[in-house]
Amino acid sequence: MAAKDPDSGGSGEILPITPSLSETTSGVTAASQATQPPSSSSDVDTVYVPSYSRWFTWTGIDDCEVRSLPEFFNSKSTSKNPKFYMYLRNSIIKQYRDDHPRKISFTDVRRTLVSDVVSIRRVFYFLEYWGLINHSSSSSAKPLKWDEKSAGDASSEPPTTAKETAKRICNGCKSICSVACFVCDKYELTLCARCYVRGNYRVGINSTEFKRVELSEESKKVWSEKETLQLMEAVMHYGDDWKKVATHVTGRTEKDCVSQFVKLPFGEQFVKESDSEDSLEAFDQIKGSADLESGGSDKEGSSPNKRLRLTPLADASNPIMAQAAFLSALAGTKVAEAAARAAVTALSDVDYEAEKNATGDPNRQDANANSGGEITNSERDWADAKSLIQKEEQEVEGAIKEIVEVEMRKVRDRIVHFEKLDLEMERSRKQLEDMKNLLFTDQLNIFFHTRKARKSEDRVDVKT
Amino acid sequence: MKALGSSGWKGPVKFRMPTAENLVPIRLDIQSEGQRYKDAFTWNPSDPDNEVVVFAKRTVKDLKLPSAFITQIAQSIQSQLSDFRAYEGQDMYTGEKIIPIKLDLRVNHTLIKDQFLWDLNNFESDPEEFARTLCKDLGVEDPEVGPAVAFAIREQLYEIATQSVASAKESRLSKKSRRGSDHGSASKASGLSMDLVKLFSFKSSVVRKRKDLDVYEPVVDLLTSEEVDALEAREERHAR
Repeated sequence: MAAKDPDSGGSGEILPITPSLSETTSGVTAASQATQPPSSSSDVDTVYVPSYSRWFTWTGIDDCEVRSLPEFFNSKSTSKNPKFYMYLRNSIIKQYRDDHPRKISFTDVRRTLVSDVVSIRRVFYFLEYWGLINHSSSSSAKPLKWDEKSAGDASSEPPTTAKETAKRICNGCKSICSVACFVCDKYELTLCARCYVRGNYRVGINSTEFKRVELSEESKKVWSEKETLQLMEAVMHYGDDWKKVATHVTGRTEKDCVSQFVKLPFGEQFVKESDSEDSLEAFDQIKGSADLESGGSDKEGSSPNKRLRLTPLADASNPIMAQAAFLSALAGTKVAEAAARAAVTALSDVDYEAEKNATGDPNRQDANANSGGEITNSERDWADAKSLIQKEEQEVEGAIKEIVEVEMRKVRDRIVHFEKLDLEMERSRKQLEDMKNLLFTDQLNIFFHTRKARKSEDRVDVKT
Repeated sequence: MKALGSSGWKGPVKFRMPTAENLVPIRLDIQSEGQRYKDAFTWNPSDPDNEVVVFAKRTVKDLKLPSAFITQIAQSIQSQLSDFRAYEGQDMYTGEKIIPIKLDLRVNHTLIKDQFLWDLNNFESDPEEFARTLCKDLGVEDPEVGPAVAFAIREQLYEIATQSVASAKESRLSKKSRRGSDHGSASKASGLSMDLVKLFSFKSSVVRKRKDLDVYEPVVDLLTSEEVDALEAREERHAR
């Protein structure tokens, strides 16, 4: 009863190997206890579980689990309960079977499960001991994150085995090999140069059985962008001093640096002398940068754009200015001036689609003569780019206008509101004044009345 | 239900993580022989001490790190555990503390930003459960996000708990003779906690203000590889 794992390269969500839940035992092959399962062509698909683990089911807990991991079943803590144990166990097994036949490591598992790591470790060891995980897997481990990083690319490279990309560690002295190492394929040993010279290896091996492996060779033949950038910076600073350049570029020897620099597309600039050629290249590059700006990705592959992406030396906030600065520095002031003039005139020409100015623009004529078809294409793209930019600018302006209008309206409303409040204040103040006046008149009246009353009283008294 | 009028003075509690499981957040950042190992996970302090070395050995073996890392990892874990245990004997005042917990973390390609209120008094709270539910509800596919969220919550709770221990010590030292209301004020010493009385008085409403709505909402972003690279480069620059 082999449980055929249909290719789990699909979603990886629900495990394809769901044994029918009505069965008491999971439908897995019962291989003999100790021997390895026969390596068949369907090895990738079938998961073998030893016969002494036949008790395993996804939904149940067996006695041996309770005995081996009592902490989950003695109800001492509220969250370490059987349900939590099943969550851990099932996730670990699921994760292993998703990646089968690769061996799953404890660290992979504990990084993906929400729990304290010691509980995970206990369940993991338990499952490994009982052969429910890592039973018959090959030993090629998953490539590690920092391995891939040290090789230069994050995720675009296909994962290689750890042996190739990991830093070489000497079997003899357990240190990292830097320059060269000696590999003995027979016994699978790697020794650093020091250990090899000292004879720091096993007795039975002959020194002739070692092969010298230059680490600079086996490091990537392709230069990453970071390294190329470092190379450019170093060359700018140190010029011909390749020793210093090599130290600036991490991980490359002098020879490598020189060869790479020569291979770079604009390395030719140092070879060619003529002004027109330089300005032509500068012109192309500025056009190319315009293409970049417009997002015309069709030209991505061409060398001018590649050059630009590799050399942001100056202030990176405006990449085009940075490239222009770098190129002008390389090419010299006269040439840069000529190139800039040429570029500006070309841009204005393309923009208004006026006739090409023959006066005072010999460079552009040269450029036209040299590569006619390419330039008209890029002119067209340049024009498209310009119009797109203008449209966007207009849109942005319109949006800003609207925003300003809304804000003004808001302010106006607030002013109106305040004016109303002000009026109210005035009115109530007037009312207050009136009431005060009334009160005052009342007081006066009372005063006069009392005086009158008193006077009449006096008169009456006098009379009587 | 407690009467709203009381400012919620509780007697001092023995220090522990204010969660159902008394788990410690452990952070590792070890550099040796040109390699850097960064990690973060939760540990149960009641586990026997030999577990530390076992874990260190297994991790080094799994990640193929040089064996010098074993002792360093073990030492780092041990020191963080003993820090935690040093706090354990002491008192802390919790009071009526509802604190905002902020999440702002990036795990591989997933970026999570969130803010929510957590009751520090509820000793049955479970950050792990919260993390699991959050990931399930938001449909997060990367399984490494859950533990990172739980860890972030735990770390913040741990920090606040240690702060309350420190403030409890201070208040005890400075006002040895007085009792009563001062303890209540000590419990509100940290500016983070919200006064429940003010929050639920008749003047303000229980419904959250509109300007706060955006802040208290979880946001999950999936980044492309280039964005991840850019962020990592920036982080490394900051670290230096």
